[in-house]
Amino acid sequence: MPARRTRIVLRDLAKTFRDGNRAVAAVEDVSFEIFDREFVAIVGPSGCGKSTILNMLGGLVTPSAGRVEIDDVGVTGAVPAKVGYVFQKDTVLPWRTVARNIAVGLEYRGVPRPERERRVRDAIALAGLGGFEEAFPATLSGGMRQRVALMRTLVVEPEILLMDEPFGALDTHTKINLHAELLALWQARHPTVVFVTHDLSEAITLADRIVVMTRRPGRVKLVHEVKLARPRDVIKLRETDEYGHEYGRLWHVLGEELAAPA
Amino acid sequence: MTERARVLAWRLAILLVLVAAWEWLTGIKAIARTPGLYWIDPFFISRPSAIARRFAYLASGNARLTLWQMALSTIQSTLWGFLVGVSTGFAAGLVLGRHDRLARIFDPYIVAFNSLPRIALVPLITMIFGFGLLAKIVLAWTIVFFIVFFNTFQGARSVDADLIHSARFLGGSDRQIMRTVIVPSALAWTFAALTPSISFALIGVVVGEFLGGESGGGLGYLIIQSLGTLNAADMMVALISLGVIGIVMALGIKQLERRLLRWRPEYRGRA
Ligand SMILES: Nc1ncnc2c1ncn2[C@@H]1O[C@H](COP(=O)(O)OP(=O)(O)OP(=O)(O)O)[C@@H](O)[C@H]1O
Ligand SMILES: [Mg+2]
Repeated sequence: MPARRTRIVLRDLAKTFRDGNRAVAAVEDVSFEIFDREFVAIVGPSGCGKSTILNMLGGLVTPSAGRVEIDDVGVTGAVPAKVGYVFQKDTVLPWRTVARNIAVGLEYRGVPRPERERRVRDAIALAGLGGFEEAFPATLSGGMRQRVALMRTLVVEPEILLMDEPFGALDTHTKINLHAELLALWQARHPTVVFVTHDLSEAITLADRIVVMTRRPGRVKLVHEVKLARPRDVIKLRETDEYGHEYGRLWHVLGEELAAPA
Repeated sequence: MTERARVLAWRLAILLVLVAAWEWLTGIKAIARTPGLYWIDPFFISRPSAIARRFAYLASGNARLTLWQMALSTIQSTLWGFLVGVSTGFAAGLVLGRHDRLARIFDPYIVAFNSLPRIALVPLITMIFGFGLLAKIVLAWTIVFFIVFFNTFQGARSVDADLIHSARFLGGSDRQIMRTVIVPSALAWTFAALTPSISFALIGVVVGEFLGGESGGGLGYLIIQSLGTLNAADMMVALISLGVIGIVMALGIKQLERRLLRWRPEYRGRA
C-alpha cells in the first residue's frame, strides 16, 4: 500500500474560552493527523471540546494556540473550501421545502437547473425521502430532518466532511439505517470524514480510527485503529467477536474518563 | 350548524341588536333629558337611519366631495405610506441588523427620533410638504418606518448563527446568504409588525387629513368638517368607513402573511 497523503493536521491545538474574567480551557495540547479518504471518529465525554475541535477545523473558532492545516494550508478564520459541515444542531432552512433545502448548496455554486434537479432527485431517493420533496421541515420527523441536513451537505460532494453528532438525537433504528447510508456513500466517493460522537458503537461501526478524548480540558487520550474489514454490514458487524473486542477495549479507556471524579 | 356559521350568526345578531337599540333609544326624547344621559341624543351620536341617509347622499354624485373620493384619497395615502415605510424600514433594519458598528452609531438618533410624538411633527411636515397627498404619506411613513425597522432589526440580529455558518459551508456568498437565510428569517419578524403598521399608517394619514383641509381630501377631512358643522351623522359615516377600510387592509395582510410564511407550523395545512 502506498504511503497515504496527510490531509488534515492538528498541531498543539488549544482553546480557552474567555468570558469576562472567567476562562474555560476547552481543549489542550491536541495533536493528530488525518489521512486523505480516512474516516476518523472523535469520542469523549460531554463538554470535552469535541465540537470546539471541529469548529477549529472549520475555521469557525480561532485556536488560542497551535495550528490547523488542511492540505498544507493553515485554516485562519475563513471557512475552508471543499469542506462540508453537518452541525450538531438542526440547521435545515425551515422556509425551504425538502427538495429546495437539498438544492441550496448547488444553487450557491451555480449548478445549472437540470443537473441540480437530477442530483437532488438522486439524493432524495438515496435518503428515502421520496414523496416528501415539497414538504416543509416543520412537518418532518427529527430523523427525516437530519437526513435532509446530511443530503444537503453530501450533494455538493465535499472532499472533507466534518460531522458533529449528526445522529445524536435519533433512535437506534434510524441511526443504524443512516450509518448504512453514510458508509455506502463513503465507499462510493471516499471523502475524508471527521465524525464527532459520544456513541462508542457508532464510532466503531463507521471509523477507520477513533480518537478518544479525556474530560475537559480535552486532550487526546488514545488514537485507536479499528481493525474491522470493509465494507461493513452495520447490523451483522455488531454480532461479531471482533466488534465485541474493539468495544470492550475502548469502553475500558473511555470508562476511565466517564468514571473519574471531576 | 358549523362552528363558523354559529360564530357568524352571533356576530350578526350582536350587530343587529346594537343598531336597533341605537335607533330606538335615540328616538326617546325623555332619555336625553335625564342627567348623565344627555349624549343619547341624535345631535351627538346621530341615528342609524340618519347615518344611512347621509351615507347615500355622500356616496351619490350630488355631494361636492363624494365619499368615494374621500375614501380613495385616504386609502391611497395609507397604502403609499405603508409601502414606503415598510420597504425603507425593512431595508434599514436588515442593514443595521447585520452591521454592529453602524447599529451602534445610529442607535441614539433612532431612539431620539422614535420617542418624538409623531403628532408633534404634523405642523412641520405640513409646512414642508403642503396640504396634499405627499404630507400624509410622509406622516404615515415616519410612523411605519420605525415599527418595521425595529422588528426587522431584531429579526436580522436573531438569525441563528449556525444557519448562517452551515450556509457558508454549502458555498453561499454574503449576498446569497442574505437572500436565502437572513431575509427569510427576518421576514417572520417583519410580518409581526405589518398589522400594527397598517393601522398606524391609517392613524398618520387621518391626523394629516385633520390639518390638510379640502385639498388633501380624505375621511379625516370629513371628520373635521363635520365637527365644524356639528354634523354627527357625517362624522359617523366617516368613522364607519375608516373601520371598514382598516378591517379590509388587515385582512389583506393576513392573506399575504399566510402565503409568504406558509412554511411555519402555525400555517400548516391552511395554505
Ligand atoms: N462559545 C463558547 N464560549 C464559551 N465557552 C464555550 C464556548 N463553546 C464551548 N465552550 C465551552 O467549551 C467546552 C467544550 O465545549 P464543546 O461544545 O466543544 O463540547 P463537546 O465535547 O462538543 O460537548 P457535547 O458532547 O456535549 O456536544 C465546554 O465546557 C463549553 O462550556
Ligand atoms: Mg458538541
